[in-house]
Amino acid sequence: MSKKLDLYDIQGNICKGYGRYGFPKARYLFLSFNDSKQSRQFLLALIEDITTAEVWPVRKESAIKPGSTTNIGFTYSGLEVLNIPQRSLKGFPVDFTMGMKARGDILGDTGSNSPEHWDRIWQDGNVHAWLSINGRNSEAVLERFGQIKDMLEQFPGIELLSGHRGPNGSILDYQDASAVFENGIPTGKEHFGFTDGIGNPYFDGSGHHISRLPGRGKLMRDGSWQPLATGEFILGHINEAREYPLAPEPKLLSRNGTYMVYRKLHENVDTFSAYIDNLAKDFDGSKDLLMAKMSGRWPDNGAPLTLAATDEEKTVLDARMADLTHRAEEGEKCAIAQLKELRGKWIDFSFDDDKSGAKCPIGAHIRRTNTRGSLEHEKGAFDRPGALVDRRRLMRRGLPYGGTDEAKSDSAEQGIIFMCISASIERQFEFVQQQWVNYSNDFKLGNDKDPLIGNHHGQLTDKHIIQAAEAKRGEATKAPFFCTDMPRFVETRGGDYFFIPSITALRMIAEDMIDPS
Amino acid sequence: MSNTSGNAYALTTLCPITNGAILDDEGNETEAHDKVVRRLLQDIPLNEGSFFTKVDNTYFARLFILNDVFFQQGNDFEQDHLKSKYLCFNSNFHGDLEPYLENMWHNCEAEVRNIWQHCVGFNRVNSAHEFVTYIKACQIKTTLFFNGSNDESLAKQLKALYVKQMFGEFVLTQQGKSASDTKQNFKYFLQRVQLNDLTSPSWKPGQGELKP
Repeated sequence: MSKKLDLYDIQGNICKGYGRYGFPKARYLFLSFNDSKQSRQFLLALIEDITTAEVWPVRKESAIKPGSTTNIGFTYSGLEVLNIPQRSLKGFPVDFTMGMKARGDILGDTGSNSPEHWDRIWQDGNVHAWLSINGRNSEAVLERFGQIKDMLEQFPGIELLSGHRGPNGSILDYQDASAVFENGIPTGKEHFGFTDGIGNPYFDGSGHHISRLPGRGKLMRDGSWQPLATGEFILGHINEAREYPLAPEPKLLSRNGTYMVYRKLHENVDTFSAYIDNLAKDFDGSKDLLMAKMSGRWPDNGAPLTLAATDEEKTVLDARMADLTHRAEEGEKCAIAQLKELRGKWIDFSFDDDKSGAKCPIGAHIRRTNTRGSLEHEKGAFDRPGALVDRRRLMRRGLPYGGTDEAKSDSAEQGIIFMCISASIERQFEFVQQQWVNYSNDFKLGNDKDPLIGNHHGQLTDKHIIQAAEAKRGEATKAPFFCTDMPRFVETRGGDYFFIPSITALRMIAEDMIDPS
Repeated sequence: MSNTSGNAYALTTLCPITNGAILDDEGNETEAHDKVVRRLLQDIPLNEGSFFTKVDNTYFARLFILNDVFFQQGNDFEQDHLKSKYLCFNSNFHGDLEPYLENMWHNCEAEVRNIWQHCVGFNRVNSAHEFVTYIKACQIKTTLFFNGSNDESLAKQLKALYVKQMFGEFVLTQQGKSASDTKQNFKYFLQRVQLNDLTSPSWKPGQGELKP
């Protein structure tokens, strides 16, 4: 029996991503509260319009499904300005209190990732609130943006902060984000050409259909899947350690709230494609396979390497997919079921029969950021195969941005607005970033870093190892392939840590009635 | 077994810091002992600059002050109040306890005295033997070991790290080379790294980063 959450109290885009409901466009605004009272009045006026986690029909028209959504979160300094009592403020964890800039050493925000290279808005340190608008199309976003700007005009004590790098060298007072469209249809692609955002975690009460559990929940010893504890993602609920997450008092301030990491990640598209083109000359396989060996998924459709580890296997998989899709479209029931089962394997897989990394390299992006059961080096070492990863899961809610500059280049605006939800920024996001993205001790790969998002320096030893395919009987053992001299493909351009309160807490903040005593 | 794992030894000691303030020559109270210790600890250089690099076979060492014990952060914290503050000294090293501590005394007596003089009863410590006795009296059993090393001698581990680093670089530079070239280059490599010489070339005690 799945847990019932108060979805009308939890803000939207937490339990389920807006992207899945057909909101591929977004605009993120950042506010500075120069007048505490006016800021609370603004929140009070805004509450009615805050989108909650209430359930809408997936991809169907519905009277209750809006054209755009509105959500809000606060930095620690924002909560200070909003007059949250000292005692409650002290209850927030250190990671959130310090904010992202001050956690740079943990996050690898050094060199070209360091704050002096960030968008100007993140350099001044006055961001108090994040206000996000998601829309089913650009018009809906613009309409909502206009309404919010009108509202803000009534509150001169609130500043809509400028300083976001925009397309063609512009500086904007908002950050736009959008799914990458192909032939007018939104895709899951990002600007390097990978299919991204596959397989977010499934937690108890998220409201997702049980058929979505395999590969997304936690893997049990008997091979079955259970939902992750609600408290891994939502405050005020029990987490995987059977404890309540660290949260401030009063309980009503934190319950049904969560934390969000907002991170603007610039993608050096020229550097990436030049690197791949150059390396592909020596690589025994297609350029797509080389890219897949870096990410762990095929760029075109996101199929995991565990499902097709070579160009030949990919051709077979594609043919099977095409055949099943065609037959399913014809209404063949058996094909519909088989197609569904096959698509399930995009997410429901493990690295159990790929210990050596011959299929999916051990250092590949998806094997680092969601290790599944692969850190259980000796079977039975833990209660559950994925015990080490079940407390490090990230709910990703971001979208790509940019890609509209006239000239495609490293310096053009393109990348990903990485947003992730978790009940502990330190235990979940920061740990993954520090230990699994920018370090490899847990994978027995020394100082190697994530091939796609690691903060490389272009040195010989900035490498990614593609373990050799296992030799067939009678064949000589093959040599691994080394990607060396890796430059920094992805660079941080700013961001911060936000507390996303429940609707109840938002009202309490707006009415200045937080009382921890 | 507690304290040892193969040839590795995990030492944990809690030495009570003298309560109250240091008295000057006229008997007036000056700064509190724990404040002075805290400053001294903060001033110890890290990595290659640490005096622990002079104490052979130290894998890992740490000094800190144990105040009252807090659990969790935030509004839900719990606290255990202690009778005094403690200087906590952790060291993981290769070999037996007594020779390690004697070595520490002989090579770092000034540094040890400077810090431990603020601990209860340390004024009676005037020799390596007495230092060993003092530390053992403050020792608590542990089964927790520094995860970053095995139980080989430090020189052997540092050499292994050095060879691993150099071999990694060697492999990367040999991609696409012919077998005969690689064979020849491997000979040069072996000459360069001197596998049987544990002292040189190698990493230095306290070295915290890869260096070319």
